[in-house]
Amino acid sequence: MISMTTCRRVLRAACFAAALAVPSALLVAHHEPLAKFDDKKPVRLRGVVTLVDWRNPHAHVFVNVKSGEQVSNWAVELESPIDLEANGWSRTTIQPGDAITVAGLAARDGSRQMWGTAVAMTANGKRIFSVNMAPPPMPLQPRPTPKWPDGQPRLGSVAGGAQGYWAFPSATALVESGANVPMDEWGLLKNIADAPKVAPMQAWALQLYKERQQRFLRDDPMYLNCKPPGGPRQFELSHGVQFVEDRVRQRIFVLIGSGNNNYRIVYTDGRSHQGQVGGDDENPLFYGRSVGKWEGDTLVMDTRGFNEDFWFTNGGLPHTDQLKLIEKISRPNFDTLKYDLTVDDQGAYTRPWTASWTLRWVAGKDMPRHLCQENRS
Amino acid sequence: MKNLIFALAAVAALLTVPAVAQEGHPLKGSWLGTWTGNKIHGNDVLLVMSWDGKNVTGTINPGTDNIVIKNAMLNPEGWLVHIEAEAKDKSGQPLTYTIDGKIENLPLANRVVTGTWKDSRGDTGAFKIGRQ
Repeated sequence: MISMTTCRRVLRAACFAAALAVPSALLVAHHEPLAKFDDKKPVRLRGVVTLVDWRNPHAHVFVNVKSGEQVSNWAVELESPIDLEANGWSRTTIQPGDAITVAGLAARDGSRQMWGTAVAMTANGKRIFSVNMAPPPMPLQPRPTPKWPDGQPRLGSVAGGAQGYWAFPSATALVESGANVPMDEWGLLKNIADAPKVAPMQAWALQLYKERQQRFLRDDPMYLNCKPPGGPRQFELSHGVQFVEDRVRQRIFVLIGSGNNNYRIVYTDGRSHQGQVGGDDENPLFYGRSVGKWEGDTLVMDTRGFNEDFWFTNGGLPHTDQLKLIEKISRPNFDTLKYDLTVDDQGAYTRPWTASWTLRWVAGKDMPRHLCQENRS
Repeated sequence: MKNLIFALAAVAALLTVPAVAQEGHPLKGSWLGTWTGNKIHGNDVLLVMSWDGKNVTGTINPGTDNIVIKNAMLNPEGWLVHIEAEAKDKSGQPLTYTIDGKIENLPLANRVVTGTWKDSRGDTGAFKIGRQ
């Protein structure tokens, strides 16, 4: 006869197994987890929480794990507090002294660190710190594009009206239009042999791209040194973008939720690319110099004058200071932003090439505020 | 010699940027180091190179007596570097330098080129420059 205690144990074990069996996507971490953790080294441990470090860009939970008479302290890395809090979790979800069980990936360097893909309370198998990053559902009927009184589409929030920002990009790494190249959310290729298909790179750029890929993108200066996500990368990141349209001064601010919470200015007053910011004529910039104009319902932004100190896309495609971008932005309906890009960089590519994707309107929320800290990727 | 070092340091200070990884063409930028045993132009050397999309161009020891790089190539397979430059010796006679090396620590801020140099008179030695 099975006792109630045994029943509870079996039930608890089943709950826990079920909790950890739920596929857990590596969705929104700020660095490529595989840069630090090895997906070929699964690890599962049970222990007692000693510390919860609730800081961006990643929360960490420290756990004492007993093995025989030995106790060792492990650092479990989780998604960012921004994303965890967006899913209802907080720094008090677990406390020092709580027993938890964690499944995930071991650190490549053999240290006692792991990427936690599934965390559950040992006592009852309740899964915690799960993150659902599905985009908001689309309305059954597309809502009309909001417009200014003169008929020009509005890209941003409406004072006293609809508030929100743009996120959930349909593509999170730059790939030439028409190319079918499997990669993960951070632009890490599933198959390195696909590298030449990603974009028409010159030989040196292709080799550099391959080496960045083979190092699992761990050299990304956006994470190592808080370098800004210039160029199209600002439209690829998980925390989205927000437009502020200053029609009086004829400029559009593009506020960036990820990276280091920066912004870029697109001038729409007809000026040239030269000397827009005092003294920067000879000074290449992380965001370049952008001028824009409306062609019908499409904002066409022409940007040049980039420096070479950053990666302009997830995945590590190289660029040079010869980079010129034509970005076309349109809002075909209330909830969709369309982004079409032409990359012209004769220093790194053999010809101009294009890419495009969409972003989704996140209604009623302000853009997350993420501040980068060097070497805390 | 002290004056040369001071001059090189001054030029380097004017031309260089903080030591962060440069993410564009791997040879572009200012490089400071040594070509050991160079009796004519001294042990210390500064290279400033650029990339126009097709060719690497640049100068060695920028200044009124700089040495123009006539030919520079980068082979991405192994990141091999080959540089040829036209100089003049102390008597004003043409002197050709040939430098062959390899880029190491490519993704890092402390990227270096190590290899050898030789000149048309037969002198040769070790070559090492680090990107500034």
